[in-house]
Amino acid sequence: MSGASPVGAPDSGVVQFHQTVEPILKANCYDCHGDGAHKAGLAFDELTTKDDLLHNPQLWWKVLRNTRSHIMPPPDGPVPSAAEQLALEQWIKTAAFGMVPNQFDPGRTTVRRLNRTEYRNTIRDLIGVDFDTEHALAADDIGYGFDNIGDVLTLSPMRMEKLIEAAQTVVKKGVPSEPTAPTDQMAFGRQFLTEDGTKNGDPMTFYKDRTVAHTYPIAIAGEYRIVMATSVDGTGNPDPMRCKGTVLCDGKEFYSQEYSWADCMYFQNERVLRLEPGQHKFEFQLEPIDRTLKQPGKMDLKLVWMQVVGPLDPKAWPAAPNYARFFPRDRAPADPAARRKYARELLTKFATKAYRRPVDAATVDRLLKIAEGIYTTPGTTFETGISRAMVAILASPRFIFRFEEAMPAARGQSFVQVDEYSLASRLSYFLWSSMPDDELMRLAGTGRLRKNLAAQVQRMLADSKSAAFVESFTGQWLLSRDILHVAINRRIVLEREGIKPPAPTRRNFGGPPPPPTELTLEQRDALKREAEAYFSHVARDNRDILELIDSNYVFLNQTLVSYYGLPADTATGPEMRQVTLAADDPRGGGVITMGSVLAVTSNPTRTSPVKRGKWVLENILGAPAPPPPPDIPSLEETEKKISDRKPTQREVLAKHREDALCASCHARMDPLGLALENFNALGLYRTQELDQPVDATGSLMTGESFKNVRELKQILASQHRQEIYRTITEKLLIYSLGRGLEYYDVPTVDKIVERLEHGGGRFSELLMGVIESVAFQQRRVASEPAAAPAKPVSVVTSN
Amino acid sequence: MMLSRRRFLRNVGICMALPAMESFWSNRLVGATPAAAMGAGAGERMVATTATGAPLRTAFLYFPNGAIPAAWWPTGADKDFQLNRTLAPLANVKEKIQLVGGLSDLSANSGPDGGGDHARANGTFLTGVRIAKSGGSDYRAGVSADQIMAQQIGLLTPFRSLELSCDSIQNAGTCDTGYSCIYQHNLSWSSPTVPLTPEVDPRLLFERLFGAGPRNERQKNLLIRQQQQRSILDFILEDSRALQAKISGRDRSKLDEYFTSVRDIEVRIAQAEKSRANRPQPEVETPGGIPASTTEYMRLMFDMLHLAFQTDSTRVATFLMGSEGSDRTYPELSIADGHHFLTHHNNRADFVEKVTQIDVWYATQLAYFLEKMEATRDIDGNSLLHNSQIVYGSGNADGNRHTHTNLPVIVAGGGGGTLRAGRYIKYNDEPVTNLYLSMMDRIGGKPVERFGDSTGRLANL
Repeated sequence: MSGASPVGAPDSGVVQFHQTVEPILKANCYDCHGDGAHKAGLAFDELTTKDDLLHNPQLWWKVLRNTRSHIMPPPDGPVPSAAEQLALEQWIKTAAFGMVPNQFDPGRTTVRRLNRTEYRNTIRDLIGVDFDTEHALAADDIGYGFDNIGDVLTLSPMRMEKLIEAAQTVVKKGVPSEPTAPTDQMAFGRQFLTEDGTKNGDPMTFYKDRTVAHTYPIAIAGEYRIVMATSVDGTGNPDPMRCKGTVLCDGKEFYSQEYSWADCMYFQNERVLRLEPGQHKFEFQLEPIDRTLKQPGKMDLKLVWMQVVGPLDPKAWPAAPNYARFFPRDRAPADPAARRKYARELLTKFATKAYRRPVDAATVDRLLKIAEGIYTTPGTTFETGISRAMVAILASPRFIFRFEEAMPAARGQSFVQVDEYSLASRLSYFLWSSMPDDELMRLAGTGRLRKNLAAQVQRMLADSKSAAFVESFTGQWLLSRDILHVAINRRIVLEREGIKPPAPTRRNFGGPPPPPTELTLEQRDALKREAEAYFSHVARDNRDILELIDSNYVFLNQTLVSYYGLPADTATGPEMRQVTLAADDPRGGGVITMGSVLAVTSNPTRTSPVKRGKWVLENILGAPAPPPPPDIPSLEETEKKISDRKPTQREVLAKHREDALCASCHARMDPLGLALENFNALGLYRTQELDQPVDATGSLMTGESFKNVRELKQILASQHRQEIYRTITEKLLIYSLGRGLEYYDVPTVDKIVERLEHGGGRFSELLMGVIESVAFQQRRVASEPAAAPAKPVSVVTSN
Repeated sequence: MMLSRRRFLRNVGICMALPAMESFWSNRLVGATPAAAMGAGAGERMVATTATGAPLRTAFLYFPNGAIPAAWWPTGADKDFQLNRTLAPLANVKEKIQLVGGLSDLSANSGPDGGGDHARANGTFLTGVRIAKSGGSDYRAGVSADQIMAQQIGLLTPFRSLELSCDSIQNAGTCDTGYSCIYQHNLSWSSPTVPLTPEVDPRLLFERLFGAGPRNERQKNLLIRQQQQRSILDFILEDSRALQAKISGRDRSKLDEYFTSVRDIEVRIAQAEKSRANRPQPEVETPGGIPASTTEYMRLMFDMLHLAFQTDSTRVATFLMGSEGSDRTYPELSIADGHHFLTHHNNRADFVEKVTQIDVWYATQLAYFLEKMEATRDIDGNSLLHNSQIVYGSGNADGNRHTHTNLPVIVAGGGGGTLRAGRYIKYNDEPVTNLYLSMMDRIGGKPVERFGDSTGRLANL
């Protein structure tokens, strides 16, 4: 993509470099990167050839990133003026990147396989079935911090097999195989309750009478099959006790059985009953047989489940659930030609939805062949045939992958708009993690989507399906979703602050469980949702995205109020509510001080100012710290040097920074992380650590000093606004495009940042900036040579 | 019979009766297959088959973050050696294992790539090539040793190979600097750009091997599933061909992944139809999902691997017991700190002690598996362990310093009588890939001359 000038002509980029850029580098960078010094292997005065200057965009991209995020030059030395920085940036973007101003490169996108979230949502919208992909499909690999990156969404034979199986499962579950079907009601033993509602049918001891009941509604009169599953769960020791189990319907006994000892035995029995429309009470009665026996050990009878299926007469069956969703007529026509026409209609409609673009007649013919192959066989149904073709559609690469098409390209054109169907999919998978709905498809079909882009984005964001965007993007950008699984030991964390939780007591049967050393699932879920609720508010209320960093409000529910130890009336109920903070609240709003973020950037037993500082640098300021060099003294090593007492994290880090090797990076990370020391590894506010008051003061590498985290947030939001805008823009672009960013994306990012600057940082400017960007709207014309298929290279065989 | 009946029962959720297991034995598949029958052109030589005609199984078991060297390495040499603390749990199978010192994985060194030793250790351990430092756009590793074997012998069994892992969760925040998570969550690579996603759920693994549903319906369900799969294969292959004409570049290689996967399924169905009559169904209940306890989880996965080998469902498997860099905590050992965090101990005694306990824990899980393999008779009367070659190792030697020389490696099993177990052998800094070449030799088929960074074969194995 670089715009090299004709061979032999003096290159203006080179000339410009010597005129404008070289003096800036000389004045500000040569101390370490010139005049014989080449720290990190870089000496600017050794970059002499045209290739060095104009054909090494990766190097210059690094220079741009490091100077912009104030990583370079380091403090205590010369710093380029704003005008110099601008000149440097201009030269890098135009000459080093070879990019024409105001021309944007959409970049290289790779076809994206639906990830687990997208697959689940797409199946929900297409079939109306909630398919648990977390369980059924292996986790997707992550690249650039997100799980929707086309390149790393691979497809191994095992995953393919699972996708075929998933297709079979969801079609079987969601698409009826006949126009009518008997009703099928199933209740588990736990849903069968005693009259007072306190006990249930799973389990019941052999030694005590118990009657449990459940009511089934019946709409159509007829014969019904009642299937009962029970099991005996004894211990290894035989027990002489026997009991009788009796099953009654509306007070009338229709089945009974005697049970005796077994280590483990399972029974399934059925009876047919005639039921009239109305509510029917089914009871299970357990009676001990020999009441003189004393209970020597544990022996239980379990009512596992009871199922009521019917009516059994097919003539009385009601329409099958979900039938109209796939089959608009009550029944398929009997006439073969009409039947074929109807099948063709159904399959065209379904394939168009599933492939997210119109389907060609040849494909429909082949689908028809599958369907007819089934439904013309005696003993099968029309619907089963259609279902099988649907399975094929869901296993097709055109469903599993999002293939895109582009508008026709003119000769010599490098970039071209994606067609409107592709745009519809880009939008819907971005904002809904799911397929386009009917309205998007209709607009794309009539070529009116681009014309109505802003209104459609509004509509999509307002739709409840956009919760998927909030959840996926927030959870991965902030790492807040990692709170669901991160290991934290509450007891040890609190002990560091001198708080002793009650000692765990032994668990007694029926007694209260011991106090958990781990967070509960409810707490973890609430902490995850806290971040999402906050982001959702900024997005939907179109707030300045700097409120993600600093604000006077938080989102809480009842669980979080008690978790954070706030007054109980701060927020009640399970829903997240916006709470305005007092002016002197030490925590303040914003993502940095959320429990989830603070906990996932801690170690299981204590805080990690380094991890926290690194997190702020990477995810808020866009200035990732390099990894520690090998063979450096670890923090634990440093900790040992202070032997007279247990040092605080601040003391350890101060000691660590005495080593010049460590200081260069830690001087950037530590102040950010230490400012958060008022929060323990659970994200709870504290004023003491190891009996010493927490000191959260500090100053940034860029000079600003702060007394506490609230001041730090204010400094970030005011003095580092551009970096924050840029970082969030980059994260959102990665997520929306499904690829990592490259040097040629710099102008795209810059344009959106500029838009945010002019638009008061409103979320809509960010979102529309991304959606209207060339990267989102266009693709490269496929002129690049097709990559050779991957061949194993690490093996040499011989015969 | 060592299948943990109680554990299966607990996992089923409802208590069910189990019939005796004996019929399992009357039904064994005879494993001897002439290489010529599979078109290998190697005359009458048997591939992946022992001298007595039993299947020869190969497994690679990976544990994360290395091991404390001082507690790992034994005293003594050759046949006369004493297990150290970490490997003490292997006392019962001491005569069935070889401790192999002096192997290295130099591709995992930082070289020009800087940080990221965990991603590299995981990504290079079985591939032996440098992996591309990439967040995703141009990731690249190499074909892994198990897949070289699978390409040669995969057609002998219903499953070309199996990939297992006990790391079911992918957190965005846990990947090594500058490397996509793809390197840390995959051990097997069928091509430099196609990692084989491991199965993490014991139940799904079992159903994939033996079919879903109650015991007496599994066989039927497996058959129905395969027939239904076959009925759509033609359509989806044709659909992909139609696409192929329209796409280029990286998209095409993604479609190639699809093609390869579908063809793999096609071949498997054809295989299954041929051997259907002989296919043994284990007389055990389907296990539940992932147990909460890590010990239970790992043992259940080992139970599945054992079952897969016992029924000759595959002859090659990899098991990522924990992703390299794993920061798992061990409540069962009362260790609240993360494993990775602790391995950077800088000789702090309490950290070293905890890491050693974790190392012992991993060795205990290995012992569980090896003892179970040893206690199971194979069709030739030898034990399953005798008819296996199993590597247990890590791509990191000393987790504290991220070293990749003198890796902790054990070769367990008798290789069908070709491995001289019960020894401690020290090599003078040879690539671990040399070990893999020696194992490939034992499998037979087309000889592999070089693999990854190999320099030859291991003498004296």
